[in-house]
Amino acid sequence: MTDVFLDTMRPTPRRVRRAGPAAGLALATLLAVTGCTGGDATDGDGITPVAFTVTGPLCAELPAGTEPGNPESLAGMPADQAVQWIPVLTTFDAAVRATGLAGELTGVTVLAPTDDAFAEKFSRTNLDELLLHDTDELRELLREHLVTAPMSVAEMVAAGTVKTVAEGELTVTAQGSVARFGNEAETVCADYQATNARIHVIDHVLGSLPTTAGGEDDHPYH
Amino acid sequence: MRYRRTKAGVFSSLLAAILAVTALPALAHGKPAATALQMQAEPNQVQNVTVVQGDGYATLAWTHVDGATDYQIERTPVAEDGSATGNGVIVGLWRPNRQINNDKPTFADAGFAPGDRFQWRVRARFGTEAQPYSAAVVGTTKPHWGDPNIPGQNLRTQWEQTLGAQYTSDVNEYAYTAAIDELSDRVRVTEIGRTVLNRPINMFIIGYPKPPATPEAVAATSPLVVNCNVHGNEPGDREACFIMARQLAFTQDRATLNLLSKTTVLIVPTINGDGRAANSRGNSTGQDLNRDHSLIRQPETQAFAEMVRDYRPIAGYDGHEYGNANTGDLPMLSPRHANVPQGIFDESQDMIEGHMYTQGAKDGWWACPYGCTPGATVGLGQETILRNTLGLKNVVNSLLELRSSGGPTRPNESNTANNRRRKTYSGLWTFNQFFQYHGAQLKDLNKARAEAIQFQSANTGPIVLEGSREIKAYPAPHPGEAPPPVDAPREENILQHAPCAYKLTEEQYNGARTDGPGGQGTTVAQRLAAHGWKVIKTNDGYIVPLSQPQRGLVPLLLDEQAVAGLVAAERIMPTVTGTRKGALTVSGVTCIADATVRGAITVKKGATLIATGSTINGLVNADRAAGFVLTDSKVNAMVNVLNTAGPVIMVGNKISGSVLVHGTKASGPANVANGVIGAPLVAGNTLTGLLTCTSNAVTPVNLETPNTVRGLKIGQCARI
Repeated sequence: MTDVFLDTMRPTPRRVRRAGPAAGLALATLLAVTGCTGGDATDGDGITPVAFTVTGPLCAELPAGTEPGNPESLAGMPADQAVQWIPVLTTFDAAVRATGLAGELTGVTVLAPTDDAFAEKFSRTNLDELLLHDTDELRELLREHLVTAPMSVAEMVAAGTVKTVAEGELTVTAQGSVARFGNEAETVCADYQATNARIHVIDHVLGSLPTTAGGEDDHPYH
Repeated sequence: MRYRRTKAGVFSSLLAAILAVTALPALAHGKPAATALQMQAEPNQVQNVTVVQGDGYATLAWTHVDGATDYQIERTPVAEDGSATGNGVIVGLWRPNRQINNDKPTFADAGFAPGDRFQWRVRARFGTEAQPYSAAVVGTTKPHWGDPNIPGQNLRTQWEQTLGAQYTSDVNEYAYTAAIDELSDRVRVTEIGRTVLNRPINMFIIGYPKPPATPEAVAATSPLVVNCNVHGNEPGDREACFIMARQLAFTQDRATLNLLSKTTVLIVPTINGDGRAANSRGNSTGQDLNRDHSLIRQPETQAFAEMVRDYRPIAGYDGHEYGNANTGDLPMLSPRHANVPQGIFDESQDMIEGHMYTQGAKDGWWACPYGCTPGATVGLGQETILRNTLGLKNVVNSLLELRSSGGPTRPNESNTANNRRRKTYSGLWTFNQFFQYHGAQLKDLNKARAEAIQFQSANTGPIVLEGSREIKAYPAPHPGEAPPPVDAPREENILQHAPCAYKLTEEQYNGARTDGPGGQGTTVAQRLAAHGWKVIKTNDGYIVPLSQPQRGLVPLLLDEQAVAGLVAAERIMPTVTGTRKGALTVSGVTCIADATVRGAITVKKGATLIATGSTINGLVNADRAAGFVLTDSKVNAMVNVLNTAGPVIMVGNKISGSVLVHGTKASGPANVANGVIGAPLVAGNTLTGLLTCTSNAVTPVNLETPNTVRGLKIGQCARI
């Protein structure tokens, strides 16, 4: 019984794949554009490991190294499963399940707001309504967080503007070491890879829904 | 060191060493083992740091430094040889208000992955000036509980296996629960109900060597209950419950088995499975279930209420998480609705302030009152909240909140996994302490409940419709800066003269309701039955007497002035008071309160007697009554209660004579009439004669409140 859940639940550790020198160079250039410095700089050969390096101020607080949920272990998973391993995305994960949106998380970039971001945006009652009743509205909101192709943060910054699945446009600008989408949202841990998808964790909820947080209902008492 | 140097300038380390040596002789008598390390102690350096490993936490303790305003605790990962494998991090801030005794500081460090090895150092601060670090203590933390090579012990939850990255899913919960059920003789898992979306609501029933076979048998063991997860987005306590269930199911610890042999542990891990799966606070309809425990509009709260009715826990804990970053690790609170019996409130306070604060100070966890920040408006007396509902049902209990964020005292918890592990292991500590407290206080808890049942059944004193018992600030150093809000009952919310009963119409009692899931709701009849109330059917309605064990809750659901009421039922006031000379014949519904009847009382067929606080100087005889209620009274003759169609309640009477309860029909809704509802309640009476019970459809019960009988207990009442 002891390992019953292990095989099915724990992501299989994968070998770190090293990219060739050219890819390494390309990333180095892009990193310079965005100013990201979160990952290990070089290995012994002076070649930058390209895969599975996540960048941003929150990355240090998320599973790393060989811990369950480390970026490398997520690379072979569909995006809806990968987000289940990133512990600041419990609300986003719940929203994906509530809206049945898992199937759409392929061939896209997922801009996933943290739990704190959801809590700053929606009152607890409002969030419950979205998760339980207003799932059409929630689905549209999530689509405003999906960019139409898998892109690294560097690629998005280079593009300057990206299109969302909801057919909106997002401007992307470099802000110091992170990327900013629109006016507020910034990456806090970017460049997770999943199967045919990229995941960037961001610190604000995008889209057009009104902010309902800020009152007594944010942290309802027992 | 730095502190002295900056202040004194020329204070050399040599001088410090000399001073330490000169200071030594005084110490040497008492402590000949003073080490070289102590001799070289720097000024204000923390001394005598020790570490003791618990499940998921490590308790640091040290000697207080005079003048220290707070302490910082540093943790560094180390290899077997003691070499550091990572950076030292400040993981804790000890403040004087963490514990009730400041002279022996302790800190429960938590958040690390179980089994890792660390060294810890502690330093005092004077204001913002840090003093020298203590010498390091090194230890390997405990791995996940259970020997990996012993079946059962080797089970692990999804949360444990992922080191907190994922919470245990519903499917994995069922697999884990079933595995414990199958592998342990001590455990029976029962489904107490289903959620709106048809998820099972399971309960672990744990006893040694085996759990009692029926709810009635469990009730006889004075069980304790942990409700682990009512708000789906607050899952920390639920994970603690899974671990606790495994510990109790498979431990070989003799002290634990000894406790388990004397009682039964009830663990309800997930009452709100739909909300947990959706990560919502409410259930699938959006109803906050912790605003529904009196009203029971939802199937989840109904299941819990029925469990409480049938298994009758004497003590409980209700698990939550809490958003206030500036509070203690473990905010707790007693049931405090003003109608909660005094003894239940007092015992709950003793559990929190007497036990949890004291044990927290030993183990380094900061238990504190909920709602303790100045100006707080939380933690009041609403009867819809489980804490208060349970108190009104005579269950000693407490709210438990796990502080959501690390806050200023646990600065290393921006790491989500660290944060989750601290929360869950602090919950595990609390629930295990609760089990210890319950075991140690079994007698007092039972006594408190028996008194509460008698007090409530006596229907004495005013009824408060809204308002709380006051919780005074704990003496300084208080573990919270302010006591919870006073919330005193306002005059307009007090009924100085309690009704004798409420009368409901057929429509009120059995009519369809729209206040449940899908615009449907169970009837009032079903809900009152879920609470376990006795209801007397008369020819023109339904009578709910107040003189029964949940008296304080009755008006909160049925009075026209109730704040969160169910129906506005008619108040029935006492009809006989004062002194009555001569015999009394009861037809219809007669309420006798604080009266003296100088003669016999005869209750006619189809009639109802409700007598409280009275003296009756003659034979009391009821044959084929609709209902018979006699509480807190003195009868100087025999009492015969024969062939009653509805409920029989006899609690807390002094009877100079014998009592016969014969031929009582099983009353109440058909699906529950054969349980505790349909049973005559004969509890806490003192008889000079015989107590005889025969031919009742359901064996009479005493709700673990024994009768004192000078004669014999006969027939169905032989054991009550």
